[in-house]
Amino acid sequence: MTTLISFNYKAILRLLGILILLLGLAMVIPWVYAEVTHDVSGIYSFRRCAPITILAGAVISFSVKSYRAKFRPREGYIVVTSAWLLCILIGAFPYYLSDFTGSYINAFFESTSGFTTTGCTAENVMLSNTLLLWKAVTHWLGGMGILILVISILPALGINGQYIAKAEAPGPIFEKMTVRVSDSAKVLYLTYIAFTLLEFILLMLSGKMTAFDALITTTGSISTSGLTCHPAGITYYNSVYIEVIISIFCVLASVNFILYFYFVTGRQRNLLKDIEFRAFLIIILLGIFICTASMLITGECSLETALRNAFFQVISLSTTSGYLLSPDIIWPATCQMILLTVMLIGGCSSSTSGSLKVSRVLVMLKLIWRGCIKRIHPRSVVAVKLGKNAVSAPVVSGITVFILTYMSILLFSLLVLSFQGLDFQTTFTTALAMLSNTGLVIGPTESLVDFSSFHPLLRLYLSGLMIIGRLEMFPIIIMLTRHFWGKAR
Amino acid sequence: MNLDAKFTFKIVGITLMVIGVSMLPSVFVSLIYDTPAVLLSFLATSLSAIVLGRILLQICRHSLTRNLKIRDGFLIVIVCWLVSAVLGAIPFYVTGSIPNPFDAFFESCSGFSTTGSSILEDIEVLPRGILFWRSFTHWIGGMGILVFAIALLPSLGISGQNVAVSESTGPTLTKPSSKMTDVAKGLYLTYLLFTIIETILLMFGGMNLYDALLHTFGSVGTGGFSSYNDSVGHYDSTYIDIVITVFMLLCGVNFNLYILSLRRGFRAFWEDAELRLYLAIIAVSSVAICVTLLITQNYTSVKDAAVDSTFQTVSILTTTGYATADYETWPMFCQMIIFLLMLIGGCSSSTGGGLKVIRVLVIFKLIRRGISTRLHPHVVETIKPSNQNMPPDVVSAIASHMFLFIVMIFCGAFIISFENCDLATCFSAVITALGNVGPGFGMIGPTENFSLMSNLSKFVLSIYMIAGRLELYTLFILLTPGFWNSNH
Repeated sequence: MTTLISFNYKAILRLLGILILLLGLAMVIPWVYAEVTHDVSGIYSFRRCAPITILAGAVISFSVKSYRAKFRPREGYIVVTSAWLLCILIGAFPYYLSDFTGSYINAFFESTSGFTTTGCTAENVMLSNTLLLWKAVTHWLGGMGILILVISILPALGINGQYIAKAEAPGPIFEKMTVRVSDSAKVLYLTYIAFTLLEFILLMLSGKMTAFDALITTTGSISTSGLTCHPAGITYYNSVYIEVIISIFCVLASVNFILYFYFVTGRQRNLLKDIEFRAFLIIILLGIFICTASMLITGECSLETALRNAFFQVISLSTTSGYLLSPDIIWPATCQMILLTVMLIGGCSSSTSGSLKVSRVLVMLKLIWRGCIKRIHPRSVVAVKLGKNAVSAPVVSGITVFILTYMSILLFSLLVLSFQGLDFQTTFTTALAMLSNTGLVIGPTESLVDFSSFHPLLRLYLSGLMIIGRLEMFPIIIMLTRHFWGKAR
Repeated sequence: MNLDAKFTFKIVGITLMVIGVSMLPSVFVSLIYDTPAVLLSFLATSLSAIVLGRILLQICRHSLTRNLKIRDGFLIVIVCWLVSAVLGAIPFYVTGSIPNPFDAFFESCSGFSTTGSSILEDIEVLPRGILFWRSFTHWIGGMGILVFAIALLPSLGISGQNVAVSESTGPTLTKPSSKMTDVAKGLYLTYLLFTIIETILLMFGGMNLYDALLHTFGSVGTGGFSSYNDSVGHYDSTYIDIVITVFMLLCGVNFNLYILSLRRGFRAFWEDAELRLYLAIIAVSSVAICVTLLITQNYTSVKDAAVDSTFQTVSILTTTGYATADYETWPMFCQMIIFLLMLIGGCSSSTGGGLKVIRVLVIFKLIRRGISTRLHPHVVETIKPSNQNMPPDVVSAIASHMFLFIVMIFCGAFIISFENCDLATCFSAVITALGNVGPGFGMIGPTENFSLMSNLSKFVLSIYMIAGRLELYTLFILLTPGFWNSNH
C-alpha cells in the first residue's frame, strides 16, 4: 500500500495566497479603467472579481504562518502547476461575468490564452476595452512567469525558489546569474519592465496610437502573445514604423534575458558571441529571405509588399507572438512551410517566447551529427557542445526527452483535434499554434486567430495544450503520473 | 586505381550481375506477353548488365582480401542500392514505357525500396514484362539486395556482420543462430515460403499466375505495386483482401522471430514486446477506424467496414500501400490514424519501413524515464523494451535516428513545397517516401499518383525512399567529412 507523501502544504498554500493577492491587485488596473470609461459590464464583473480575489488572497496569506521550508523538485512542480491553474481559473471570471461570453469554457480558454501568451480568442467578437486591458495584464504577467515575479518581489518568503524557477522558466537550463535565485528573478523582471517602458514610448512617438493602443500593443509584443486592439490588427495603423518597432521588440523579448544582464554588467559585451542568439538571428534572416523570394516568384506582389509581409510575419511566428499582418494574403506553400518551421523552433531559452527553443534545436542537430560520427567510429566519445561549452549529459538527455515528448504530444493532438473534421493543415497548425503559444493558425486559404468554431470540449483541450506548452510540458505531465503521487523515495 | 576504388567497382560489378540475372524472369514474362521490340530492349539491358558486371569483376579481382571496416560496409550498401536503382530504371526507359528518365528512376527507387509510390497514371497500358519487373524489384528489395549479399559475399572472403548492421531494418539484430550466413539463409527460406504460399492462396481466389505473383511480390516485400489502376480494389473480393492482409501482416513481423520460433515454439512470438505492440496498434486502429466509419455511415455493412479498415490499417502500418478503399473520403479522424500509422511502420528486421515499432516503444520508455529522472535526478534507470536492458548506445542511436527523421521530414517538405501544393501533400509525400509507404494525402492520395510533381521533387523523393530504406543514417553519413577521411 503506497501512502501519499507529505508536501509542505503550508508553504505551498502561503505562496498561492500571495499569488491570489497579486492577481487581485492586478485586477484593479482594468477595474479602474472600467470605472473611468463607464464600461457597465466591465464595472459589473470587476466589482465582483477584484475585491473577492484580494480578500481571499489576503486571508490565505496572512492566516498561514510564515514558515521556512525547503522545496524539493516535487514541490516545485506542484507549486507551478497549481499556481498556473489557479491564476487561469480566477482570471477567467472577469470574462465570464461580463457580457463577453456566456460559457465558462470560453472564459477559461480566453484566460488561458492570456496567461500563456498565446493571444488567440474563443469568440469571434472583439473584447471590450476593459477586458482587453485585463488580457494585456495577464499577458504581461504570464510572459516572464508569474511565479518568478512572486519570487523576485518576495525574497523573504523563506522558500528556496530554484525548483520553482526551474519548473516555470522556459528553456533547458535555468541559469542563475546571481547567487540568489530571487536576485536573478529580479534582474529578469527589471529588464522586462525596461523593455516595456521603452516600447511604450517608441510606439507613442509614432503618433498614430493612443496611449491605450500603445499599452495593449506593447504588452502584446513584449510578452510575445500578439494582442492587438482593433479587429483589423496591425494593418489598422498602416505604418511601417509601428510594424518595425513591434518586430524589434518581439525579437528582443525572444532573446535570452540573461544575455542582457551580461551585457549591462559587462561580462559579455558582444551579444553575437552567444551561439543561441546568433542561430536565432540567422533563422529569422533566412526565413525572411526565403519567404520574400518565394512570394516574389509565385505571386504578383511588389518587392516592398513581399519584404514587408515576410519580415513582419516571420518575426511574428518565430518569436511565437502570432500577430497577423495581412489576413487576406494567401501565402505560397514554401512560405507556409517556413512559417510553420520557425513556429516550431521558437525563440531562445529564458525568454518570453514559446515552443521548442533554439538551443534545444541546436542540441538536436548536434546529436544528429554525433549519431553520424558514432556510426563511423562506434567506440568514440563525443561531447555535445554549444559554442565553447560542453552540454552536460543529463541536460542533453533532458533535451532529447523534451523534443520527443513535444513531438508525441503534437501527434497525439492531431488525433484529438481531428474530431473537429477540419482539413489536415488546419488541424496540424492548430495543434502547433497552441502548443507553441503562438495562437495563429496558417490555414491553406485563410489564417485564423479565433477558435469559436471548435467544439467546447476541444476548446478545453486546446486550453490544456496552451498550458502544457507554456509550462514546457513536464510540470503538468509529471503530475499525471502515478510516480509523482507514489511513495517518497 | 587505388584499393578503395577497386573495391567499390567490384561491388558495382557484383550488383550489376545480380540485378542483371534477376531481370531474366521478367524477360521471360516479356517473351510470353509482349511485342518483340519490348522484349529485345529488355533482354539487351539484362545481358549488357551481366556482361559489364563480369568485366568489372574481372578487372578488380585482386582487390580484396583485407578485413572490412565499418566504413566499407556503408559504402557497399550505398553503392549497391544506387546501382540497383539506376539499373532497375533502365528497362522502363529503354522500352519506352516511362519516357522521362526522372520518372523511371523514381519508379525504380520506389520498387527497390518497397515504397510502391508511382508516377504512372495508367498502369494497365504498360507491357506485362515491364510490370512484372516493376513488382519484382519489390521482391528483391524486400529483404534487401544486400542480405542477398550476406549469403553471397562470405564466399568472397568478406565477413558480413558490419554490412548487416547498416542493411537490415531496425535498430538491433538479435542473432538467432551464430553465423550471419545461416541467419540470412533462414530469412530467405521464410521469405520464399511466404511467397509460394501466398501465390497459391491468391490463385485459389481466382487470380491467374501472373497477377498472383505480382500481388505476392507487392505484399511480401511490403511494396504495394499492383497491376491495376485500382490496386487490390480491382478484384473486389473479400477472400483476396484477407489473404493479402494476412501476408502483409506476416511480413511486417520481425523475420528473426520465425526462425527463433523453430527452436522455442510459440513463446518466441509472445515474449517479443515489439510484436505485442505491433499487433495492439493494428487491433486498436482497425477497430477505431471501423467504428468511426460505421458511426458516420460511410459504410452500412459491418463486414465491409471491418475488412476495409483492417486492410487499410495493415497496408499502411506495414508500409505496403495497397488500397481497397480511398481513405481520403473517410472522416478526418480515420485519416489522422492512417497518418500516424505511416510514421510508425513495421517491426525491426521485417520488410516493412517507417520508424519501426521498436523505436516507438523505446521512445515511450525514454519519455517515461525522463519523467522519473526529473523527480529523482540521481536515479539511474535502464531502458527495457523486452526483458533485456537496451545498451545506452543503442538508445541514444534511436534518439538521434528520431531527430534525423524529424529534420529530414522538414527539409524534404520544404523542397516539395516549391510545387506550391498544400502542406498535407508536402508532408505526406516526404513521410510516405521516407517510410516507404506509398500513398499519401492531398495530391498524392491512394487514388492519385506522383505524376504531377516536378522533376526536382521526384528526384528528391527517390533519394528519400532509398534513405528511408537504408535507415537514414547510412545515406546521411556520406555527407560527413569524417566518412571520406580514411585517417579518421
